[in-house]
Amino acid sequence: MNRKLITIAAACLITFFTVSMAFALGGGNGRKGKFLYRKNCYKTCHEEKVGGLSPANKTQAEWTAIFSDTSKIPCHDKWPAVPEKDLNDIFTYLHDYAKDSPSPAKCS
Amino acid sequence: MSESSQKISRRDFFKASGLIAAGAVGGGAVLGGLRKARAAAVPVKPWDSKFSACDMCFNKCGLIARVEDGVVTKLDPNSKFLKSRGMLCARGNAGIDQVYDPDRLKYPLLRVGERGEGKWKRISWDEALDLAAQKMEAVRKDYLPCGHLFSAGTDLHSQFVGRFAEVYGSFNVTSHESLCLVSNNRAFLDTFGEVPFADVLNSKYIVMAGANRFEALVTPDSIDLMTAMRENGCKLVTLDPRYTKTAALSDEWYPVKPGTDMAFMLALAHVIIGEKLYDPQWVEEKTYGLEQLAEHVKQYTPGFAADQCGIPAEAIARIARELAEAAPAAMIYPGRRSSDYEDSTQIRRSFAIVNGLLGNWDRPGGLLAARVVGLKGVPYEAPWYDENHEDRIDADKVPMMFEHEGSFLLTRDAVLAEDPYAIRGWFIYKTNPMATVPNRKKTIEMMNKMDFVTVVDIAMSDTAWYADLVLPSQSYLERYDPCSGLQGSSACACVVKRDPVIEPLYESRSLFDVMKGIANRMELGEYFDFTIPEYREKQLRELPGAEKILDRDGVYYNPSKVYGIYDGRIYKTLSKKIELYNQRYEQMGIDPLPVYTVPTKVPANRFRLVVGRNALVTQGSTANNALLHQLLPTNTLWINPNAAKKFNITDGDLVEVSSSVGRQEIKAEVTDRIREDTVYMLSGFNTLSTRQHLAHGNGASIAEILEGGYDTVTGNAALHTTFVTVTRKVA
Amino acid sequence: MAQQLAMIIDASKCIDCKGCMIACKVANNVPEDQWRNWIKGESGMSRPGKHNGTTKFQPGACMHCDKPTCVEACPTGATYKDEMTGEVVIDESLCIGCGNCIPACPYGARFRNATKRKADKCNYCPERRAQGLLPACVDTCPTKARVFGDINDPDSEAGRLFLKNKEQLTRVAARTETKPNMFYIGDPGPRDWGGEAVTPASMIAMKEAAPFIKGIVGLSGLGVLAMLGRQLIAGSDTDHKENDDV
Repeated sequence: MNRKLITIAAACLITFFTVSMAFALGGGNGRKGKFLYRKNCYKTCHEEKVGGLSPANKTQAEWTAIFSDTSKIPCHDKWPAVPEKDLNDIFTYLHDYAKDSPSPAKCS
Repeated sequence: MSESSQKISRRDFFKASGLIAAGAVGGGAVLGGLRKARAAAVPVKPWDSKFSACDMCFNKCGLIARVEDGVVTKLDPNSKFLKSRGMLCARGNAGIDQVYDPDRLKYPLLRVGERGEGKWKRISWDEALDLAAQKMEAVRKDYLPCGHLFSAGTDLHSQFVGRFAEVYGSFNVTSHESLCLVSNNRAFLDTFGEVPFADVLNSKYIVMAGANRFEALVTPDSIDLMTAMRENGCKLVTLDPRYTKTAALSDEWYPVKPGTDMAFMLALAHVIIGEKLYDPQWVEEKTYGLEQLAEHVKQYTPGFAADQCGIPAEAIARIARELAEAAPAAMIYPGRRSSDYEDSTQIRRSFAIVNGLLGNWDRPGGLLAARVVGLKGVPYEAPWYDENHEDRIDADKVPMMFEHEGSFLLTRDAVLAEDPYAIRGWFIYKTNPMATVPNRKKTIEMMNKMDFVTVVDIAMSDTAWYADLVLPSQSYLERYDPCSGLQGSSACACVVKRDPVIEPLYESRSLFDVMKGIANRMELGEYFDFTIPEYREKQLRELPGAEKILDRDGVYYNPSKVYGIYDGRIYKTLSKKIELYNQRYEQMGIDPLPVYTVPTKVPANRFRLVVGRNALVTQGSTANNALLHQLLPTNTLWINPNAAKKFNITDGDLVEVSSSVGRQEIKAEVTDRIREDTVYMLSGFNTLSTRQHLAHGNGASIAEILEGGYDTVTGNAALHTTFVTVTRKVA
Repeated sequence: MAQQLAMIIDASKCIDCKGCMIACKVANNVPEDQWRNWIKGESGMSRPGKHNGTTKFQPGACMHCDKPTCVEACPTGATYKDEMTGEVVIDESLCIGCGNCIPACPYGARFRNATKRKADKCNYCPERRAQGLLPACVDTCPTKARVFGDINDPDSEAGRLFLKNKEQLTRVAARTETKPNMFYIGDPGPRDWGGEAVTPASMIAMKEAAPFIKGIVGLSGLGVLAMLGRQLIAGSDTDHKENDDV
């Protein structure tokens, strides 16, 4: 189940970044990133099912890879256009609370 | 003999003489000869049995409440509850006197005198909630949302304090953890990538330092430790400046010099590496940094450690060999409360590193990873407050604070300095910083900084005593609680919940209802638009049938994998391995390997004050319990006979204990169960609140004396860094 | 064969947590500062290094003895040995609270209940047993150091332990031999605390008298006896708190 969720989310994000690529990663506002992540990804895309998806499901390297690469999956079209700065905030949130981060996110 | 008992005796005499005469006539036997064959059948008590989980400490042991006519008359262990091994300790049994404590808060109280003066006015819940909402709104307006602090203790409702804080707009939330366990968590997380459970039951050799498992009960570890020792021949070596009950029951005990545990641990590593006692294949495959560690510990010979910690070098070398011999079913017990020294994270890193060398991760008798419990989070979408400051008030003071726990001591300093910004509102639930945080006077200053303090608790704690608004909460036997996922080491991964066992007493309300009431008055009601049973349904959405089992057994077990969880998986560290050498520390300028620093020498004519527990105490919440009070009527100052002699102190003398921040009077307990350079007392006594009639003016408050040092890596409190003088009070 | 309810205790498992004491107190509504059970502590020296596991905490309570001196001391027959279960029982309706039985127990297991003003001690929680539950102290014990049951029943946990450990079972000896039914597996820890059973001289005299005199005294001499009893209470009362509630 978890794996599936991760795939969905990853896919979601990956799609997302096919649109806007190649911005400088990191140093954003993680707190705002959490808000934006919930707003853009959770609410518009995954509804209830992704409740368990947390930054701590992936390592920092994996989040970095996701945010630097592009691919497939039809989810991003449901997302509103997110400015680059917001994307970086989302990245900062996911990266800073990743499972191998100093402060892995707790559930919910 | 009093007049009253004479009357009683006479009454009994008349009653009894009649009975005996009858007996004599009927049976003929009298005076020692009257023998009945059989006791009369005992009537069965008409009680209801209801499941719950104990709340006298953090363990949440499964219990069955016996209820007669709506009153709990007995709390029994739930024998199906594997985490607590079907037991209930003294505090668990005494829970009944917490619920029915005559000192319990009964209705909302508004302060009408000065802070701490104890003048209160009874108000209605509507008035109370209106006022709380209005004051919180004012703080948010005048000082930004992050200008309000939220503190919640260990409780299943505490998550609603966090939820409220977030939707209100404040990230300044503290838990009890920075007064307790974050140094240990930091160290193990930064070594293994997660905080382990100790498989005590299956261990063959345990070194326990900085922990007192037979008195500071942790389930199932405390019980499993005894089973391991008596049934499986596990060996226990304890390091403690006090001869605790754990020390007394150990195979070996060493009164280690306080603050030198790291020297001992690094010497163990020195021997294990030097004599190649580790499993080379395992260490090669699973760990990172053996070479650097080997080089680093060369200097830490058993001889060096012996000079530091006072444990003979031969014993250190032998213990290292014995540990390695028993590995991987051997461990340095990780412990829990690690708020001891300014380098506690590094001290605990040295514990973690020896475990790494023992190759015990994810294996029977070693350290276990978190199992799947299956409970799900209940997400919500908090609003964004763009006007807020960017970070917590305690941010950037130490390099590795846990963002979601914060640091109480750093928060207090920042609040007092109003740096980097002001905090003027404080909401506190079921935690008692006035009794548990070092330097009580400073906590009072922090209170005085606040425009408005709201405390929700079941008792008039010292923290409530200094608040503006005090709201009576329900005890654990009176309310619905969310589900909680627990791991009982190798025993189980389980889910518990609480349903009301009795009707709420007085006007008490659950914290959830309080939050909901305030939220509704602040247009935040949408975030609390549910009931606890609805919330639990969401938590349990991926465990079909669990709710039914919970109702039947009082506990639900997830039969998830116990060992070998990491087979084919990476460790959650930078190197994806167990980090003997921590790469992130190196990047951040923190010692990547623990470097031993000699602890500050105890100054002449002074003592190091250490804290600790016994099985009848849960910090600031049990000293007013009438049942426990009978076994532990007060706290005392443990002082070694040689030290006592030097200061002309005899057992039972009243002494003054004095530090740079405060002084208290307490009775001396002269005992050889403590080192000469160390003194000790229990926490929770001598409350300022007069509405704790057994604890007020009784014994000494350790919070008044302890100074406020902290762990420079995590911001955890450093409770063993206070030096005190002890002077006999002349009668 | 009749039952013999007993406790088999492994003192080496006791961590002195006092769970049994609070559990008993709540289950039996024992008044403040009075206790039906105890844990005796080892006051051994805190010697660093290897201990060889010598420290023991010793859980205990009324030992439901085979030769109960308390029964001998009871003038009314309120205290007796149940022939079917082997328990030493107090029939509260017959107890006059005279206190004779208190010094008659060499283990100090008895006290005068400050509320009921009657003799009191461990009764293995009959109300709980009637519901199929274990005595409160046994049920709650974290390390299961206390095991309760019929030692004459080899299928019971207590009987099994009794047979298995027969060679190494010990009792805490008192200066008066009462044949207690509290068995410890191996070393019970503190051994030298058992005292001497003190039976009032009047009771001894009574026993030696002819049965027919006993009968007379039984019917008509009760006043004297009760007065005697009251005096004995006065002696024992110094150990117990008085409530001025009457």
